[in-house]
Amino acid sequence: MIESLASLLMVLVVLALGPYVVAVMDRLVATAPRGALASDVWLGPLSRAAWLLTQHANATEAPDWQAWRLAPALYLALAAVGLALVPWSPTLIATDLVTSVVLWGSVEALATVVIFLHGWSANAVLPLIGAYRYVALGLSYILISMFVLIGAALPAESLQLTQVVASQESLWNVVRQPLGLPLFLVVGLGLTFWGPLNLADSTDLAGGTAAEVSGPSRLVWECARAVMLVAFSGIAATAFLGGWLGPWLPGPVWVLLKTLFVLALLLWLGQWLPRVAPERCVTLMWIVLLPLSFVDLVWAGVLALWA
Amino acid sequence: MEHSIFVDIAFLLLAVLAVVAGWRVFRTDSMVRASFFLLVSFIAVGAIMMLLAAEYLGVAMFFMMAVEMMVMALFMVMFMMNPAGLNPMMMVHQHRLSIIAGAVAFFILAAMALFSSFPADPLPAGLDPVRSLGHEMLGDSMLIFESAGIVLLATMIGVVVLSSHRGRYGAAEEGSVPPGLEPGGDPAGQPEKGESEGGHEHHHHHH
Amino acid sequence: MAVSWLRQLAARSCVPVYPVWGEHDEALLATLVLSTQIELVDSPRHASVLLVVGEIPATLRDGLKHVHDQLPSPFAVVWFRGAPLIALNAPIHVDEADRLVDTLIRTHRELMLGQRDSASRLLPDEPPNPWEGLGDDGHGGEGMMGGTPYGRPMAMNMQDDLRDGLTLDSLTFRLGPFYPALPSGLCAEITLQGDVIQSWETRHGALPQRLAPVFYAARERPVPIAELELARARYHLVQLYRGLHLAGLERIARHALSLARQLSTASRLDGLRRQLVRSGIFHLAAMDGGQLDTEMAARLGGPAARAAGLDADLRMDDASYQRLGFRPQCRTDGTVRARWEQRLAEIDQSLQLARQAEPDGLHTANTEAVETPRGPWSAKPPQDASALLDQLLPGLEWDEAMTLIASLDSREVAETSGRANI
Repeated sequence: MIESLASLLMVLVVLALGPYVVAVMDRLVATAPRGALASDVWLGPLSRAAWLLTQHANATEAPDWQAWRLAPALYLALAAVGLALVPWSPTLIATDLVTSVVLWGSVEALATVVIFLHGWSANAVLPLIGAYRYVALGLSYILISMFVLIGAALPAESLQLTQVVASQESLWNVVRQPLGLPLFLVVGLGLTFWGPLNLADSTDLAGGTAAEVSGPSRLVWECARAVMLVAFSGIAATAFLGGWLGPWLPGPVWVLLKTLFVLALLLWLGQWLPRVAPERCVTLMWIVLLPLSFVDLVWAGVLALWA
Repeated sequence: MEHSIFVDIAFLLLAVLAVVAGWRVFRTDSMVRASFFLLVSFIAVGAIMMLLAAEYLGVAMFFMMAVEMMVMALFMVMFMMNPAGLNPMMMVHQHRLSIIAGAVAFFILAAMALFSSFPADPLPAGLDPVRSLGHEMLGDSMLIFESAGIVLLATMIGVVVLSSHRGRYGAAEEGSVPPGLEPGGDPAGQPEKGESEGGHEHHHHHH
Repeated sequence: MAVSWLRQLAARSCVPVYPVWGEHDEALLATLVLSTQIELVDSPRHASVLLVVGEIPATLRDGLKHVHDQLPSPFAVVWFRGAPLIALNAPIHVDEADRLVDTLIRTHRELMLGQRDSASRLLPDEPPNPWEGLGDDGHGGEGMMGGTPYGRPMAMNMQDDLRDGLTLDSLTFRLGPFYPALPSGLCAEITLQGDVIQSWETRHGALPQRLAPVFYAARERPVPIAELELARARYHLVQLYRGLHLAGLERIARHALSLARQLSTASRLDGLRRQLVRSGIFHLAAMDGGQLDTEMAARLGGPAARAAGLDADLRMDDASYQRLGFRPQCRTDGTVRARWEQRLAEIDQSLQLARQAEPDGLHTANTEAVETPRGPWSAKPPQDASALLDQLLPGLEWDEAMTLIASLDSREVAETSGRANI
């Protein structure tokens, strides 16, 4: 009982702190080599959030109000589901389903729907283009994600994330399946449309699905994106970096460190890579990455048979 | 296996959600909204399946339906005469036929629910639903599932080949058009161009 | 006072500014972008302050009003070196460039603390077309599709698809004149199928741009080559900033701009070039398209022409440049990638020329014909070539089109240097 309460608390804390941590880390990554650190790094995200709360939410011509207001909240809810799936220790986990890997897969699939809805419901041209573009991306990365995750589940012989971690006792999946984590990181960038895969909210669309959003709903949207990034990092740390496993420190601390590591890696990629042209992106996904994820799966399967 | 009152409450709420969302599918005025109401309905059903201890099938329902409804909405919008699904449109037609079909289906299902006797077969303790489902699918029924799988895979590959840039009739950018039935003839299988739309340009001549 | 601390905090935030560029010089862009207190945003919905730079021609005032009314309240307008629209009372007006940033920050602060009322709307808040839907769902009319509820008819596949014969519904809309990914003033009517551009009709050309004063001086008297070439390199770096910002490489874009601001003969391009190559932008972004034929390239002139293989540069006719051994650099294929590579090569070349010319204080010899960074200026300055887009863009995807526009400098050069001289 206490453990389930503690794990629930953990989800809420990450939900509340996640956006701030992501914003600060992103600023740190952006200014890292030249070290132009201002107090802005620490206070900036907070004052920006305060500004967005002060700003009024605008209207467009005949939007689908329900969907428009709900989409950011739903995306946040999906991110929260993702967070609830991350095991902090063998027992400290909010939702220990036997099919938690599949549930994460459905979070990814539903995220596509929600992001599409966010762009579609504004009833404006640029968000709509962003939304359609995102669907092409979303349908491409979901298959990759599925194969890579099945690969991670194979050595555990279970679709339960706690079992997936337990199976990495001798060797982490990042070593056992070297293709897994790099491919999964691409999925993460796609899921949060971050950096090179920001096809939904991109600069060529003046903000894409978020181009017509202001005020509190924009704040929720940005927070949801950040929390999704954290949730994804947590899942990646669990599935490939051995979750709570590690010497000296207690399990939850290891999960936290590994999550922050994956997060920093994603933010760094986001700062250093240009946005991939949508056509090139889809080609890359289907012609290069999808076959690579097949290879990853076959590799994992052969290893599992061998053992 | 005893279940708590919360399971009952959850079941009732989800059942109401599934029915209400299903009803909204036909009352809304947009294809996109209709698809996503259907998705909500399916998600509620998936959650009910999870309450029934079908953990894999319930969760699989979520992601299958999410992708399916997304693709459905997209294709409907792409191929129907409605810019991006943003103009309102009537979602129901052929009223009489659909009312009759709906009523008949309802009575058959209701009769089945009322008059058939359901087995009282409590879950054995220590049942692992994922494992048992796997044994079911890859044990006795393996041939069926594998052949269905191969058919689906072949369909997927076929679709990708047909819709890729290097399509069946040449590269997409260069205008992939099927060849004529006789050498040098009009492309085969194209819709007949009516006289009424003669106002704008066509790529090929025909008379 | 729960609201009060929220507003106090909001007042400290980075000021989100949506800029509308009238006539201006590019130095202002660097000031705004590199200020840590200002954030230039891409959508008016994301801004707290609307900054109108320079005079906006009467033809674009309506466009400005539309942008103005899209800012969510509370918001304010700051006018920089331009007359405010008459409709506004108590406008905030700035003339000196060094006071601009402070004014923007102060305006945002006052808005947040409630010391300043949000600007009032200029246009009535009503749909552009009256509601014409009939029936319960508003679908109206006959059959499934009904009438024209928003004044827009149902799309009926008006055009054959350009690419694969997969005819989707077309979507026609107007973009501009102040869309951030387009040159300021450019307004176009666009028809899309999916995100492929079916037709692009330029309705209003881009506003003329003002070059650095040294280019205007070079038409009147000999000017130091070092100064002229540094100004040229600076111009290209600002263009590079725009392209990189569009590509989502914000930090390298800022690097380009800060390099432009501190540019001297000692500056090197190597660091920036290395960052660009490492980021993979030349492979990941859509850079293979946008090929110019010889006629288009000749019409544009300048780096775009040289990127397409035209060996034309007015500096070749200048005796001083000949003394420096100047030879124009060329690319052959005229694609987007070639244009960016050309720009980088020309920045390098300009720095090299500036370094060579500086010790002797070498001046230009020819004042009749000056090669501006936009193109040759002998009889008249480079003219607006926005109409080229109508030919170039159909068939491209949205992202390709925007990348192409960023790589293609089609703006007219203003005849006089305007206020920058004063």
